[in-house]
Amino acid sequence: MHIVFYSTSHVFETEERLKEKGIECKIVPTPVTDKAYCGVCVETDAENVGQYIEDLEHRIVE
Amino acid sequence: MIYLDNAATTKYKPEEVYKAYEFYIREVGVSPGRGSYQLGIDASRMLYKTRRLVAKYFGLKEANVIFTKNSTEAINMFFNGYLKQGDHVVISCYEHNAVLRPLHALKEKGIIDYSVMSRDDLLLSEDEIFDKYVKINTVLFATTLASNLTGRVIYRSELIRYMKGKGICTFVDSSQGAGKIHLSMSDDEIDYIAFTGHKDLLALPGVGGLVCSDKPNWKPLLQGGTGVLGDSYVNPEVFPEAYEAGTLNMPAIWSLNAALEWIKQNYESINKHEKELTNYLIEELGKISGVVIYDKEYDRVGTVGINISMKKSNEIVQLLDENGICTRGGIHCAVLAHEALGTKEKGIIRISIGWTNKKEEIDTLIKVLKSVGDF
Repeated sequence: MHIVFYSTSHVFETEERLKEKGIECKIVPTPVTDKAYCGVCVETDAENVGQYIEDLEHRIVE
Repeated sequence: MIYLDNAATTKYKPEEVYKAYEFYIREVGVSPGRGSYQLGIDASRMLYKTRRLVAKYFGLKEANVIFTKNSTEAINMFFNGYLKQGDHVVISCYEHNAVLRPLHALKEKGIIDYSVMSRDDLLLSEDEIFDKYVKINTVLFATTLASNLTGRVIYRSELIRYMKGKGICTFVDSSQGAGKIHLSMSDDEIDYIAFTGHKDLLALPGVGGLVCSDKPNWKPLLQGGTGVLGDSYVNPEVFPEAYEAGTLNMPAIWSLNAALEWIKQNYESINKHEKELTNYLIEELGKISGVVIYDKEYDRVGTVGINISMKKSNEIVQLLDENGICTRGGIHCAVLAHEALGTKEKGIIRISIGWTNKKEEIDTLIKVLKSVGDF
């Protein structure tokens, strides 16, 4: 799944937080259908990651 | 050549800073927040890491840092965004023109008014300062960390906390002293700090910024490309991108990252060294007949402002230059401070020490200054 954000800072803050939790993720281009969001997003197969980024405005794209 | 103009720009940087700059322009070389290829992502990550590091350096947990090209731009952005019609601001008489001029421009437009704390009044208690300077419409208390003219530390943490306790927004211009005095935004209740990289933060010129305790909601200074929400006709309301329109100076930003890491490792030793040299300089200057040392009795950073007898400061600085010593004379960018010290006519000779200066260099300076009476 992709976690998309408005702010590029939030993308890297999420990467930082997930890696601190030992959750694998990578930064990839945002799916083109979500042009409202910034150009890169977080891709991960882990579930329930939303709990770690509740304070960061984001959307989950399955 | 002896370089003693570190308050303007630190000429000599740690080797790690040069290497970081070179690494960025050679190995990365692209802009953050633009391309979504791997190298662009690396650039964005480096930007984020530096944002995080700057915030931490200034005692803030959240990475609420807006990068600009220097503190002047950060201060202009803040004042023009934050202040509204009818607002009143309190500043000190030691503010750099980077603080005074944008405020005065807003005053001339009839938007705000401001009051200047006099030199004598800087010693008043918090209650006395509040009673004398704060008005019903005062929304902002702004102070420099240290004087660019005399090196005197102007910032008072207890005064900042007091003003914040009264519901007034607090701002510190840390351009002078950010690398020498640790500020904690969370502990000291500072709402905004403007910083510049090229002075005692030891980074390259071209990077500065505004650190914000909370994400701002006021209008940005510049409109333009932000790398996000490109289909909007104005900057999107996204922090911090909305406040960073245009391509950032990423090589300088990455040099700041290296510089802050280096300062963290060497903070105690460079401060001890600079304090010892500054004390030695003041002691030796005091032995020269006719030398006036401004703000001698106060806590200071490694900057010392002097005059010698009736000589004009530019003449002394020229003499020093002829002897291979770089200092600065004349009117510095702090007209309020010159007025407060009575040096608006003849200026001040500013000697500012950096981390690479040596005792022998101070001895050479003193030797030349002792010859002033001969010319």
